[in-house]
Amino acid sequence: MALLEIKNLKMDFGAGADALRAVDGVSLTIGASETVCLVGESGCGKSVTALSIARLVATPPANYVGGEILLNGQDTLKMSNGELQKIRGGVVSYVFQDPGASLNPVFRIGNQIKESLKLHRPLTRPSATLSPAGGEGRGEGVRVLKNVITDYDTEVIRLLKLVGIPAPESRIRNYPFEMSGGMQQRVMIAMALASEPKLLVADEPTTALDVTIQAQILDLLSELKRRLGMAILLITHNLGIVGDMADRVAVMYAGQIVELSPARELLRRPLHPYTKALINSVPKLAGGASRLSAIPGNVPRIGNFPPGCRFAPRCPIAKPECSEKIPELLEVEPGRFVRCPFWK
Amino acid sequence: MWSFLFKRLLHMIPLLLGVSLLTFLLMAMAPGDYFTALSQNPQISPETIANLKAKFHLGQPWYVQYFYWLKNILHGEFGYSMAYKIPATALIFERLWNTFLLSFFAMIIAWGIAIPLGIWAAVKKDSWADRGCSLVAFVGLSVPDVLLALLALWFAAATGWFPVGGAQSPIHDLLTPMQQFWDCAYHLILPALVLAAADLAGIMRRMRSCLLDTLRAEYVTAARARGLGEGWVIYKHALRNAINPLLTIFGYSLAALLSGAFIVENIMAWPGLGRLTIEAFFAKDSYLVVDCVVMATALLVVGNFIADLMLAWSDPRIRLK
Repeated sequence: MALLEIKNLKMDFGAGADALRAVDGVSLTIGASETVCLVGESGCGKSVTALSIARLVATPPANYVGGEILLNGQDTLKMSNGELQKIRGGVVSYVFQDPGASLNPVFRIGNQIKESLKLHRPLTRPSATLSPAGGEGRGEGVRVLKNVITDYDTEVIRLLKLVGIPAPESRIRNYPFEMSGGMQQRVMIAMALASEPKLLVADEPTTALDVTIQAQILDLLSELKRRLGMAILLITHNLGIVGDMADRVAVMYAGQIVELSPARELLRRPLHPYTKALINSVPKLAGGASRLSAIPGNVPRIGNFPPGCRFAPRCPIAKPECSEKIPELLEVEPGRFVRCPFWK
Repeated sequence: MWSFLFKRLLHMIPLLLGVSLLTFLLMAMAPGDYFTALSQNPQISPETIANLKAKFHLGQPWYVQYFYWLKNILHGEFGYSMAYKIPATALIFERLWNTFLLSFFAMIIAWGIAIPLGIWAAVKKDSWADRGCSLVAFVGLSVPDVLLALLALWFAAATGWFPVGGAQSPIHDLLTPMQQFWDCAYHLILPALVLAAADLAGIMRRMRSCLLDTLRAEYVTAARARGLGEGWVIYKHALRNAINPLLTIFGYSLAALLSGAFIVENIMAWPGLGRLTIEAFFAKDSYLVVDCVVMATALLVVGNFIADLMLAWSDPRIRLK
């Protein structure tokens, strides 16, 4: 059983005649300890897909009209609020784009990390006898056995050390505004790790940071993944980081996945015309002074998608029949899925 | 932090000096003085009036009068009320206490109702509860103080449930302490409600919009993503940030209550500072006018000072600057 299995997810913003389809039939699986990248331009639905895993999109305005999201085999779309609160942090943790905005400005960072600990890993007194581990997690798919902690402060310091924050003993009393952006993002990661999740969703974790800090944060994520063995869903619009991080890549366009493929093969030989165009538009240092190739046209607005293949109006190889019927996402080679009949 | 507070207190001195000087100047520019009316009275001899004028330094230029007044202040005295014929100090502090009582209770009522209502309206955004609160706020913002005070007076007179003025019953001094307390509360309730009603709507709407803003903030989504319960997310994470702008307006609100109190005190015959100021002004009881204005200014500055303290307590980003 895969850790996460999104099946044919359909989500609208609004309801009835005004409904705008933001996510249209997205299917994606993530295995334990796997890193999957979700790539796409702004507004293509990648963030709302990721937020939907723990149902963090407010309903209304959002409206789930179809599909299921199986996390550890349980459908989060059918969960009660209590069950959702358990899996938020407990199974899936989030790291967001702008650490400055994601940390509450008026609380000390130690306090905020402790909040997660108290919730998901309540203190076990050294004197208390532990119940046998076999009793835990049985029958209930969402419960996960956590490492035992006896002291919150020590654990917070351990977590801050883990994410590479120097002098964590004094940093614990800092307010978010007393730290740099890179340090803040490390705190966010520490906070996400505090609850020992199985899946870490990183929603453009480096977009708001300097380039040098970006590399540090990505290295940190790879290293943590190796040490802790958790799965990562990395959302990005930057194809440059895909090769270093991802096992598999899903490329989204206008609410749909257009290509899903192992990362190396996708970068070496993209199949979908949109993926090809994306890779071509990454500026290269080598290769002379040729003009930066951009994809002509604009991303279609949500609710205003063209009929048939949504990329057809901007596609260099589009044929008249492309605008008639939405192509299926088909497995054209082992492990490689493409939503384009003319990929060859 | 402490040096900042000390500086803020020091800033009060030039402000109060400026306000008192300006008030003195304006009073001096107005024609006549307290004794102008008395001089029409044939029973009072011109010599008596001249003696009294000399006693109060009224014959001298206004800046000389100002320095006499200032000298008294430095000795802890507020001069002498010519109309009441008693030292102004006792008069002022009695009236100040009444105004403080009125404003304080009006504030407790206004904030005590507005804050929970504002939170409720924000959390239940677009529900019938939110719309109901908006409607009440709209009415509250539209009805002027004067009209509300008059309506309250009419209500008190028509039903007889509330006194139509004053701060105490005529028999107040004969009552036991417990009865005196209830007597005060009974007189206080209607003016305090009128005064509070004016402020309530604005505070409620602001609480609602501030909380709605912070509920949209990314750290609120991040808090939810950590598995915190909705109550914890709203009351700890969102509300702690949403109250900061409200603490800022708390100081202004204190000032607004005092200036609003002028109107309510006069219409509802509440013996407060506002009414005293207006009476003193019409009687040209010049020292008393200046005393009252300086007192009102001091209250305003202290209100802002308290708001600053609360803001520093609430927001660490301000504390360290």
